[in-house]
Amino acid sequence: MILVVAILSGRFLAPYITRVFSRSPSRLDKVLNPIEKGIYRLISVDPARGMGWKEYFLAALVVNIFQMAIAFIIFAFQGVLPLNPQGFPGLSWDLAFMQVISFGTNTNLQHYNGEGNCIQLPNCAALTPGVPGLSYLSEMMAVQFLQFTSAATGICVAVAMIRGFVAHSKDLGNFYVDFTRSLTRILFPLCFVASLVFVGLGVPQTLTGYHIVSTVEGATTRATQTILVGPVASLVSIMQLGTNGGGYYGANSAYPFQNPNPASDIFQIFLMLLIPTTLCFVFGQLTGKKRETRPILWGAYSLFALDLLIAFTPNLPVVGPGMEVRFGGFFSVFWTVVTTAVTTGSVNASLSGLNPLVILSAFNGMLIQATPGGKGVGVMYMVMFIILTVFIVGLMSGRTPEYLGLKITARDVKLVMIAFLVHPVIVLVPTVLAYSTGAAGAIGVGTSSIGFTKIFYEFTSAAANNGSDFLGASANTPFFNISTALVMFLGRFAPIGLLLSLGGSMINRKRLTTEAGVRTDSPLFALILVGSILVLVLLTFFPFLALGPILEFFQGHVNGF
Amino acid sequence: MSTRLSKMMSARRTTLISRKVLIDSLVRLSPLRLIANPVMLIVEITFFIVIAMALDPEAFPRLASSSLQVFYVEVALILLITVWFSTLSDALAESQAKNTANSLRRLEMEVSSKKILIEAGSRRIVPTPSRELRTGDLILLEKNDTVPIDAQVLEGIAMVDESLLTGESTAVRKAPGDDVIGGSQVLSDTLTAKVTVNPDETFINQMIRMVESSKRPKTPNEQAVTIVLIGLTAIFTILIGALLGVSLVLSLAADLSVLIALYVCLLPTTIGALLPSIGLSGISRLYKEKIVAKSGRAVETAGDTDVILLDKTGTITVGNRQAVEFLPFLEFNERDVGEAAFLASWHDDTPEGRSLIRLAYEAGFVPKEMNALDASEVYEFSASTRTSGVKLAGGTGFMLPKSGGTGRERGRLRRKFEPHVEGGVPIGSDETEIIKGAPDAIKKIVKSVPADYDKIVQEISAAGDTAMALSRNREAIGIVRLRDVLKPDIREKIMAVKVMGIRPVMITGDQPLTAKSIAAEVGIDEYQPEAKPEDKYDIVKREQAETRIVAMIGDGTNDAPALAMADVGLAMNSGTQAAKEAANMVDLESNPAKIIEVVMLGKQLLMTRGAVTTFSIANDVAKYFAIMPVLFASTVPELKALNVLGLGLNTAVLSALIFNAIIIPLLIPLAMRGVTFKPSGTMTLFLKNTMIYGFGGVIVPFVGIKLIDIAISLV
Amino acid sequence: MMNFKREFRQNYSPAMRLAVISLVLCGLVFPLVITGIAQVFLPSQANGSLVQLHGKNVGSSLIAQTFSLPIFFHPRNDSASGVDPDITVKDAYSQIPRISSATDISVDMLQQIVNQNEEGTFWIFGTPYVNVLRLNLVLIQTNNSAYGAFQ
Repeated sequence: MILVVAILSGRFLAPYITRVFSRSPSRLDKVLNPIEKGIYRLISVDPARGMGWKEYFLAALVVNIFQMAIAFIIFAFQGVLPLNPQGFPGLSWDLAFMQVISFGTNTNLQHYNGEGNCIQLPNCAALTPGVPGLSYLSEMMAVQFLQFTSAATGICVAVAMIRGFVAHSKDLGNFYVDFTRSLTRILFPLCFVASLVFVGLGVPQTLTGYHIVSTVEGATTRATQTILVGPVASLVSIMQLGTNGGGYYGANSAYPFQNPNPASDIFQIFLMLLIPTTLCFVFGQLTGKKRETRPILWGAYSLFALDLLIAFTPNLPVVGPGMEVRFGGFFSVFWTVVTTAVTTGSVNASLSGLNPLVILSAFNGMLIQATPGGKGVGVMYMVMFIILTVFIVGLMSGRTPEYLGLKITARDVKLVMIAFLVHPVIVLVPTVLAYSTGAAGAIGVGTSSIGFTKIFYEFTSAAANNGSDFLGASANTPFFNISTALVMFLGRFAPIGLLLSLGGSMINRKRLTTEAGVRTDSPLFALILVGSILVLVLLTFFPFLALGPILEFFQGHVNGF
Repeated sequence: MSTRLSKMMSARRTTLISRKVLIDSLVRLSPLRLIANPVMLIVEITFFIVIAMALDPEAFPRLASSSLQVFYVEVALILLITVWFSTLSDALAESQAKNTANSLRRLEMEVSSKKILIEAGSRRIVPTPSRELRTGDLILLEKNDTVPIDAQVLEGIAMVDESLLTGESTAVRKAPGDDVIGGSQVLSDTLTAKVTVNPDETFINQMIRMVESSKRPKTPNEQAVTIVLIGLTAIFTILIGALLGVSLVLSLAADLSVLIALYVCLLPTTIGALLPSIGLSGISRLYKEKIVAKSGRAVETAGDTDVILLDKTGTITVGNRQAVEFLPFLEFNERDVGEAAFLASWHDDTPEGRSLIRLAYEAGFVPKEMNALDASEVYEFSASTRTSGVKLAGGTGFMLPKSGGTGRERGRLRRKFEPHVEGGVPIGSDETEIIKGAPDAIKKIVKSVPADYDKIVQEISAAGDTAMALSRNREAIGIVRLRDVLKPDIREKIMAVKVMGIRPVMITGDQPLTAKSIAAEVGIDEYQPEAKPEDKYDIVKREQAETRIVAMIGDGTNDAPALAMADVGLAMNSGTQAAKEAANMVDLESNPAKIIEVVMLGKQLLMTRGAVTTFSIANDVAKYFAIMPVLFASTVPELKALNVLGLGLNTAVLSALIFNAIIIPLLIPLAMRGVTFKPSGTMTLFLKNTMIYGFGGVIVPFVGIKLIDIAISLV
Repeated sequence: MMNFKREFRQNYSPAMRLAVISLVLCGLVFPLVITGIAQVFLPSQANGSLVQLHGKNVGSSLIAQTFSLPIFFHPRNDSASGVDPDITVKDAYSQIPRISSATDISVDMLQQIVNQNEEGTFWIFGTPYVNVLRLNLVLIQTNNSAYGAFQ
């Protein structure tokens, strides 16, 4: 049901997004044009000027780095900055470094708790040092800020790559303009509505400090309770819509203030799926080949269905330890599959409470990254897989491979292979390093299949810019902060650069208008695509999966015990 | 190809396989030679590692055990055999291609030539080895000489035997301006010729260069496939490296040799081993068709062909039309037409002319004027009037002298004997002038046009036949129906082309009705009637503007621009040098219908490469299930649950490794002869092959490894 | 390389300015606008869905509160967030005998209270559940005798 609604909404939202990026006239122009023009004037950018892939990538990279630098300052100095009613101290430099990269790359791996130590009930009025927390200012001007900008960047680079495939395009567009418009015309309006819906459903949005109330039993025991409020709703909207996943609270969307009831749960799942699904349609509409949405959408959702199948193999789960009663077993598992399929990484249950097969399915989503994948990059990865499939399998049609009428050259194959290669390098190597340097042991993670799963999952999640994890604040050590930061940065910008280059190289390339090649819009091609993706990804990661969740399953671990 | 030649070839091949190929394949095992094939080089490196493990297990603490020395030797042997299978396939393909190329040439044999030196106005003949000839040198070719190198005739007329090169057994007449091919033999007379190529630029040498694997440039598609293979190799190297690391840091006690076995099994060894020979044998299949491609790229492009331009004559029909019926006009009868045709064709040596005589003779229409034929005046066919004919002097009448005097004098004489002429050339009263030609040309010269003239001509055209009109003494007497003879199985070939989604376009000089009828008969929907050579260029340009890939054939200099522009241009060896230079392939047999085979070959080449690549990658799935349960058997016994095949723990690794090696020679025949396919649409081929080589590629190794495992455990 | 440097310089200044502008828009303007609207139109939810007893805030209906006395329903303590405000109806039933014996409220009565406060909108997928704090407040408000100390 949710999936159907998400796909339908994507179908209806896509024409609007397509128009935003093809800069077609819109009713919003009256209001937004002056604002946007003001921004272009402030940054002295000519909105009409197009960029090649190198300049586009560079602009995106530089803007992102500046944004991360600003956020770093806010994290590091939150102790002396305003809007810190709880008086949280600044983050250590390695944690601040890791967190800005984490939010700036749309990963949202969190090695802290937003509420610091206050997760300990009933009383956290007296803050104890140890577990870092975030001030309201950090939540707004570092976390939310980067969640918006990284989501916008994701949409921009995907659209830029798609533009390369558009016939007669001369450039990939202007990053500054795309970025501005994706904020003003897509993310702000959608998040505005979503935030207010969340407030209506019970998600707090306030800048007053935590409430300290005398509890019911306090009438006799003088016990008090701290109610951890804050500007939560505005953050939750962008973190789900932008497939960021970094929650306000350490417990993420399991925390009732972030996800108060079944309705908010379903709405968040819907928001996560919305834009990745929409971008599948945007691909077809922007390129003017609407049928070419099919392999991307069908491929993505078939893999997604497969993930669900794996996750639900061990019976329909009931409320177990580590799950929230209001969501029940089904929606805890469903959420986990969705959040990894779209690389959001938010959680509404504790991962260790889930069956190893659910975790296996989560791995699947993160290793493929295109089911339908993160905001923007999901489409890019799917195009990468399509090109690989068309090239290897498509040769058997007896024609030199082509996609969208473009002949696939040796250089394209090289770019795609390198983009594909990045992932195993940044997942497998640090996993081994975490053990060989003793970093895993230092935070109490053992060498059993359960421990191995946790470490492997941490780097898979970092590389896929997903952000869900087992370790949480326990991984706040220099090794994990720095290693995951590097993995996240490479996992984000290396494939983006390579795939932008791929898009850029399509400009001015001879386009065959004949439809004599392999029809990528046929259902059977989607099936073959899914098969190829599974074979390629499983071949690359199978031994590690075998030592992790698969072994856990064979060893009979259920619900982490 | 003559049977003598093919026997010679096959005899030579059988002897080559046994010794030269074997030695060559062993020489190729040298790591230096393997640098061109990184996948196999890595396999050879792992062989050295495992050999070291066998020799000194203690040198590999935590990774090797001295109790497994025998196992290490077995693994090492299989690894080496894997590499050898690969070099064997290379050596085989190269020797096969070279054999085919060699059989096509004599040039490689050192021929002594007679170089003409002109010094101070006098000519001097200098014996020169063919190797030392250069473009522009003059050579003398005498009877029984072997033409040392491709050259153009400057002086003399001679008969030359080109059968060794073209398979055409009749001797060819060579006159000034014609090209002679190196390796052919002069049968009569003497020629002076100018060398047109340097020795290493000849077709034959271009061919030879393309089959030497070390020098052969990789085609664009081969380069791209190689990148995929290198990428996969990099991925598996990282994976196995990381797995080795995990095994050490988590103390999982994996044996290095098993890890190496997994590594080699995962590497795309099958396609890595066969990739060079697939390309090579594709080219040698072309050679067997007697087609020389100037680059492998052109062969690949042929597979992409969207539009194929077919010259009607030679491709769809055999070169000549045959007379099938005499159609008299109202006042005449069939005999009149038949006899006129007989007379007019007596001096016409073309197959068309001969067919006229045959038809007339078989119908008994032998004219009484036959005895006058010897003394007749022949009008040779002229392109400007598009007619030919004969003028017979009557038995008793005055014989107009054929020569002597001036033209004006002869004209005066003629007027004297034929006073009542109204236009046209006057004819003597007892003379008979018979002219045959295109109906519209005859129409112009006859005194009056019969009422049924146009009707008959149109009826013939509408039926796809060609009309030839006959006039006797400027009187139209009848029409001969000439019929195009379709090449055997051309209809099936056109059908196959269409099924594969390629549009055939017929090019013909015929008028529209005839063209339409023939096109319809062979199933072609598009045709260009009344085509001039430059039309081909326009068609190529038009189709390419719509981004289609165009294949065409051509032979004349007029065709050269179109040949150069077309994506696939196949020139006839009988054609001009300009055409051959413009084209990217040359058919030594000059059979234009072969353009279809070229397209099919291109497709087959790509398909084979894709099939083996897909098969190779799909195979890996099963190998995981064979080796993963064993890899950490001592420390993580639960993974034995992955042993879905129920392999023996001691034999699983060897079974997977043997399967991985043995699949290479099993697929050599496939690589050499190419994937067989029924002509069908791109999608159908894609899906069918994906089922066979993709899905099959996943299933086959499960069965194969299990069978090998059973066999090993029995031994 | 020259090209690269030029492009870098070209992007340096606009990038810096865009970073600052986006900081103000995304990090300040947006959350403040939402806060303003929420505080005006949805103040109860925006401030944490606080629950009052006798006009005094005693907690949030969304956050579990520790109940240790036998007369109250107790929340779970093994859930993902640690503050799961709900328990399954089954769990609530299992606590009824304890509460009944501590308060003399009949089992039927307690079952009725639980049933009346049952939530669970997840169709066949959800497990019916009750909010512990709300349940306890209902107990206090409906049973003066047993919960006198909390009146």
